[in-house]
Amino acid sequence: MITSTLGPSADLSPWAIGAACVLGAASFGALLVEMRRGERGRPMIATTGLLATIMVLAAVLRPARISASESVVGARIVVLADESRSMALAADDGRPRSAVRDDVVARLRRGSGREARLQVLGFGVGAPTPLLVAQGNDVTTTRAPHSDLAAALRSLSVSAEERPAAIVVVSDGRLDDPPDGASKTALRGLDEQLRVPIHTVAVAQAAPADASVRGVTASGAAVAHVPLPVRVEVGCSGTLTCDEIPVTARELREDAPPALLASGTAHLRDGRASLDLTITLDRAGTRLVEIAIAAPAGDTIPSNDRRLVVLDVARDRVRVLHVAGRPTNDVRALRQWLKSDASVDVVAFFILRTPTDDVRATQNELALIPFPVDELFTEHLPSFDAVVLQDFDAQPYHLEKYLSNLERYVRSGGGLAMVGGQNSFVAGGYAGTPLAEVLPVELDASRDATGADTSPFVPEWTDEGRAAPLLAPLREVVGDDLPEMAGANVLGEVRPGSVALWTHPTRTTRSGKMPVLAIGDEGAGRAIALGVDGAWALKFSAIGARTAGRAHGALWDGLLGWLMHDPRFEAARMESVGACIANVPSTLRAQLSSRAAGIAGKMMLDVTRIDHPQPPLRIEVAPPAGGSVDLSLPPLEAGAYAARLHVGAANARFDFACEAGGDEWADPRPDVSRLKALASATGGTFASADEAEFLPLPKPTVVSAERRVSPIAPPWAWSGAAAAILGVHWLVRRRGGLS
Amino acid sequence: MLGRSLLFPSLLVGVVAGVNVVAPHPARGFGEVGAFDPRVLLTGSQTASAHPTAPARWSTELVQRTSAPARVHPSVVHADDPSIVDAPFLYWSGDAEIASLTNAEVSGLRRFFSLGGVLLVDDAAPTANGEPSAFGRSARREIARVLPESARIAIGADHVVFRTFYFLSRAEGRIEGPPTLEGIARGGQVQVLFTEHDLGGALAQGASGIWEEPVIPGGEVQREHAIRLAVNIAMYVLCSNYKDDQVHAPYLMRRRAISTP
Repeated sequence: MITSTLGPSADLSPWAIGAACVLGAASFGALLVEMRRGERGRPMIATTGLLATIMVLAAVLRPARISASESVVGARIVVLADESRSMALAADDGRPRSAVRDDVVARLRRGSGREARLQVLGFGVGAPTPLLVAQGNDVTTTRAPHSDLAAALRSLSVSAEERPAAIVVVSDGRLDDPPDGASKTALRGLDEQLRVPIHTVAVAQAAPADASVRGVTASGAAVAHVPLPVRVEVGCSGTLTCDEIPVTARELREDAPPALLASGTAHLRDGRASLDLTITLDRAGTRLVEIAIAAPAGDTIPSNDRRLVVLDVARDRVRVLHVAGRPTNDVRALRQWLKSDASVDVVAFFILRTPTDDVRATQNELALIPFPVDELFTEHLPSFDAVVLQDFDAQPYHLEKYLSNLERYVRSGGGLAMVGGQNSFVAGGYAGTPLAEVLPVELDASRDATGADTSPFVPEWTDEGRAAPLLAPLREVVGDDLPEMAGANVLGEVRPGSVALWTHPTRTTRSGKMPVLAIGDEGAGRAIALGVDGAWALKFSAIGARTAGRAHGALWDGLLGWLMHDPRFEAARMESVGACIANVPSTLRAQLSSRAAGIAGKMMLDVTRIDHPQPPLRIEVAPPAGGSVDLSLPPLEAGAYAARLHVGAANARFDFACEAGGDEWADPRPDVSRLKALASATGGTFASADEAEFLPLPKPTVVSAERRVSPIAPPWAWSGAAAAILGVHWLVRRRGGLS
Repeated sequence: MLGRSLLFPSLLVGVVAGVNVVAPHPARGFGEVGAFDPRVLLTGSQTASAHPTAPARWSTELVQRTSAPARVHPSVVHADDPSIVDAPFLYWSGDAEIASLTNAEVSGLRRFFSLGGVLLVDDAAPTANGEPSAFGRSARREIARVLPESARIAIGADHVVFRTFYFLSRAEGRIEGPPTLEGIARGGQVQVLFTEHDLGGALAQGASGIWEEPVIPGGEVQREHAIRLAVNIAMYVLCSNYKDDQVHAPYLMRRRAISTP
């Protein structure tokens, strides 16, 4: 915009201009005083005196025309719009709070922010980013798992950009930081660096009719088999009537129904209650626990009636059930290794006497106890981390009726190792049983099936066996050497998804050499098939002597460690990058082990829904350049999931949960008081969504450019005109009687 | 509680018939290499144990009385043979003083012990009151050379070897001898057992099935006790302190039951 104004000559300083004006006014004032003495021509004298004064003043100031190009610069206003998941909840008018939020932004643009430079940023986690415009049911503007306003303000304060003149926060007030009940000093501290008013606009004010699990906190770390106190916060809001709400805690298990861990009733007072439950988890590793309430009728947000809690369950000692069908050198070697490890708690049952044995003694003379098959494989089975069935015949001991228990035990996270011998695998009656379904190899269930091949042989390493992390300790001790075995149990094909680590040099299956050692994942658990009873030769043999007997321990260190998901033998350590939000793409990060990183070839990621039957999702992953790889997941429904990363024979499992709202929906009530307190503490103004356009935002600033000064007349013309009019005035004075 | 289970014998008897009908072919002979092998240890100029038929009888008794497999034709190994480390048990029996072990023999035995092997030193010619013979004394002397840091201890009836299969109140062999055994424990495990009872003498049986040696003073009852001791020693070799576990198993189960709601 071009503007034109009049002004004094540019070479005059402001004080000179002021002095001239004062002198001019004083001269005219003196003239008026002087005129009181005269009697004639007063009007003429005053007129010419005034003109003379003006002209003298003009001769001094030499007026000029000033032309300039001017622009109006609006104040920089940063609008921080809440992008957290709670903005997907309904506002007072039933629309999503995000829609109201977008309306508020539009109102600001139209109203008091019209002349301002509005920068609309979304805040949630970390530094704010430009707010995207939602399209239809797009949830990208409500995906943040948290609403950390403090982090957003800190980011603005350290930004190199122009400091904003004001900040407008558009939110429902359900913020993670500043927290509920923050003091005025704490709220003022948020604005300490910026020192600008923070205006707040509430997108919702009424609490929805809802009962929810507002929080779950565990007292201390979760340890397998150790009771864990858990406090459950239950809330009820809006028009819902809640007096008592039943609460349950269940463990979600793959391929098995959820296991009820604890239950209770929350007695609500003033819309809230705390309930202490005690849960005991039997399996170590990441475990998914569902805390759920039975909400009363009228609950408007069913998604927050349950929370999925991922617990990283540690173990104090590995509890192993070692069952052997008869005492042999192989049983001896395994037992001694298990007993030598202080981190292993072994409960062993060896069959020392069969029905055909003639003990030649009375029962009282025998140091034998009954084999407690019923107790072991029913009530006590979940208390074990791993079960080793060594050369054990299922049939004579009525184990058959408990094989389905063992199958469920494996699928729900237990470890199983079946070790060979004359009573193992096919010879032990396991073919065609539920337990055979979780073994990593097939077993021939036909009547004429061959139980064993008694020809001596030396097992061969497969490529997968050479690369498998779980056999790395053994290979470090023996290299490629393995001792001769007296024979092998006849095993079938390796099941899909399982891996053969050792094979028989001459016996074959339909697809290749017969597996001798194979491993496989089944559900949440793992199983090992070792089709020989000669592993003890890794200790007592020439190889054993050469390696000081360490080879046998190295083998079982790897096998048991793998069963127990020991990080040393996992392909990777996985974690979720941020929370997994239902129906929003998410990312898992895998830190590959050094051994897995060295394995060339593609990796596969299997994602399986745990709490609801669903076809598994398989994702092919390109080998990473380094040891870390981000695994992008498509949008997943709310639920519990298991992700398995396969790298050669090694794999890694990570259980995680996707929630519709997570923490953000736990308490769906808008928090207007927090927004008001924030505005009050920082000199801002609080407004409802309807009042947003009237917020008192800073005025714009005018900036001039290309200023040009053009004298109206040359100096001599002003001086001549002033002299002439002074002369006229002098004549009039004389004629009026003044000197 | 574990004690509520069905009694073991009755549990088994009714099942065996069914096994014969439906079970696939068992893997017979598969476990022979891993079976208990009362390997005869020879040193110096020894060519056989004091009672050559005793090891086989030991195996037979073990197989007949227990579920443990055993070699009916036990092997023989010389102390300086590299194959001394091929199995976890050695049976050293003699009735005369033995010569000092050669360096190779000492080395072989040390390798055996370093892997966790167990040696039974059976004095075949103790005095009637159980004093060691020249063999017993010389064997102790030589074992002290092999394991110089280890001291002998008395193995009494409270040791697990006296309850690995049978409950035994004392040690007995061909002669009654002292009630205890002697042993050398390493790493929490008894790796050397000394007996002054001529255990092999009580086990020795000719091809005709006639016991080769009379058992004094207890006769056949004492022989039965000697056989039971041999069975227990074999079970100790195969199961080590398993029976100590059994004592604790009910406690462990109870503790688990308490900790699990």
